Amino acid sequence: MKDKEKLKSPMDRRNFLRTCSSLVAGGVALASGGLLAAKASTKEGDVFWQIDPYKCTQCGRCETDCVLTVSAVKCFHANKVCGYCDLCGGYYRPNVKELNTAAENMMCPTGAIKREFVEEPYFEYTIDEELCTGCAKCVKGCTSFGNGSLFLQIDQERCQQCNECAIAKVCPSDAILRVSNENAYKLKDHA
Amino acid sequence: MGIICSIQTWAVARFPKPDFTSGYQYPEIIHGVPNEWFWNILDVVLLIVMMGLVVWAAYKKRSRAIILSMSLVSVLYFGFFRSGCVCSVGSIQNVVTAAVDPNYHLPWFVLLVFLLPIVFALLFGRVFCSGVCPLGALQELVNVRNFRLSRAVSATLSMIPWIYLAFTILYAATRSQFLICRLDPFIGIFRLGGDLGVMSFGIVLLVMSVFIGRPFCQFLCPYGALLSVFSALSWKKLEITNKGCINCALCGVSCPVDAIRAPQNSRTKEERTRGVKRIILFAILLPLLTLAGAVLVGSQSDALSLAHKDVYLYELLLEQESNPEMEESLEVETFHALGGNMEELKAQVDDIREDYKFYACLAGALIGFVIGFKLLKLSLKRGRKTYEIDMARCTMCGKCFNYCPQNLKELKK
Repeated sequence: MKDKEKLKSPMDRRNFLRTCSSLVAGGVALASGGLLAAKASTKEGDVFWQIDPYKCTQCGRCETDCVLTVSAVKCFHANKVCGYCDLCGGYYRPNVKELNTAAENMMCPTGAIKREFVEEPYFEYTIDEELCTGCAKCVKGCTSFGNGSLFLQIDQERCQQCNECAIAKVCPSDAILRVSNENAYKLKDHA
Repeated sequence: MGIICSIQTWAVARFPKPDFTSGYQYPEIIHGVPNEWFWNILDVVLLIVMMGLVVWAAYKKRSRAIILSMSLVSVLYFGFFRSGCVCSVGSIQNVVTAAVDPNYHLPWFVLLVFLLPIVFALLFGRVFCSGVCPLGALQELVNVRNFRLSRAVSATLSMIPWIYLAFTILYAATRSQFLICRLDPFIGIFRLGGDLGVMSFGIVLLVMSVFIGRPFCQFLCPYGALLSVFSALSWKKLEITNKGCINCALCGVSCPVDAIRAPQNSRTKEERTRGVKRIILFAILLPLLTLAGAVLVGSQSDALSLAHKDVYLYELLLEQESNPEMEESLEVETFHALGGNMEELKAQVDDIREDYKFYACLAGALIGFVIGFKLLKLSLKRGRKTYEIDMARCTMCGKCFNYCPQNLKELKK
């Protein structure tokens, strides 16, 4: 009896179960998609990784923990904050005997800081991003002994915009955050 | 000490702004911002177009060549050019975080990257895995032979993606870390550099995938696990040939992911009651396993919570307190330098641990449920008259199309 009924039925049990579960799966996908879409559309997404320069403690992990072989974190210079000093805490190591460009006097291990005479007694400092490794030594010198015009920031043209920033995970002061497109650079002289 | 010094003094303008008399102008520095908006739109458009092409290649043309060329495009564009982020596999974590944390901004394209492959899986199966996912495509391109693992081994190993998924959800929901991104084996290859351990794991996997079809997709990928559910329930089912199967068994040999099920008309006679009893047993076992998983993983929540940065810091601080002679780690030093409050941190850590208790139970329940469900599924035996594709496992590489003599007949004409 039962077998006969089964044959007559336009849809057997397995197909019925399958269709039902397909509908459930589709419904779940649609519902969750809709809920998340409502969330996504109300706000502008944050895409770009940036360092909050006022939170940074110059621990040096930016140099070592970026997924890139040479970190995307570079030293930036806020000229409008700089004192243009001759004796620069970011340029020379502390307690140097002579103020010359001998390697033992230089703070930057790669010679990425260029110094140019402007007028008595001012010197302009610029960073060669190609050479900078983001080690934060100059930043530390400048924030400890100068105006803090040198600071670390993530160069957006180098940053891979990883889904999770590897440096952010080890940053001891939680200084790395995601920002939106309009705010793609957190700089010091714009504050 | 250096840190303390620098923190207290960042705001101090020790030296006044210079008065330039020579008419010096501050240099204008422009920092470039890549047009992410453009690239994200291109990514999504390409994702849709490529998945559409794979559907056309698999369902209409039955052509592996098109699928392989898609794989090449995917590896070059999504892999090497866009260097992997954000991918659908990793987007699970963004979606979980967005679902849990109302303050988290989920960009719309991440949502699309997450949802589109699922929608396609519901309609046509795992089209995304086929030639669009750069991780799968990379393995597909190097695959030469496929040594088959035994059914028991591969059934056991195919539990790993679910366990991986459960822990991914746990860590993403508690905002600890993005496990998938951390352990992505091929991202280092696409970026030509990265964490040495993970990269060498990726190279081992890649060498393995020369001999075994897609080891990452089969035995690791959590997104593949997710897609397999939707794919199993898909609207359209992929067929090896539309000319009618002649049971030659060639396609079964060709499949690199063991997704082709042989006909089972000569199955051993089994008493109906015995089969029913077994299914009832596993049906009872299912909730028990779920519960056991929840209890087991839930009981480890405190240990698991160490993956969270704040909990780790708290434990470090406690260790430091009990053993003051220990050398201060950078985290502890910074915490003290920033004037961190131990009470506040403890309150935070307690909150996090509370979260962990809940989500660890959830993750354990998921693992238990999946194991139970797998047992139940394995105990179901179905009659088949021809070779059929198991949509849950099939990654649509298209290898079987060229093996099928029925298809070749058509080609010759």
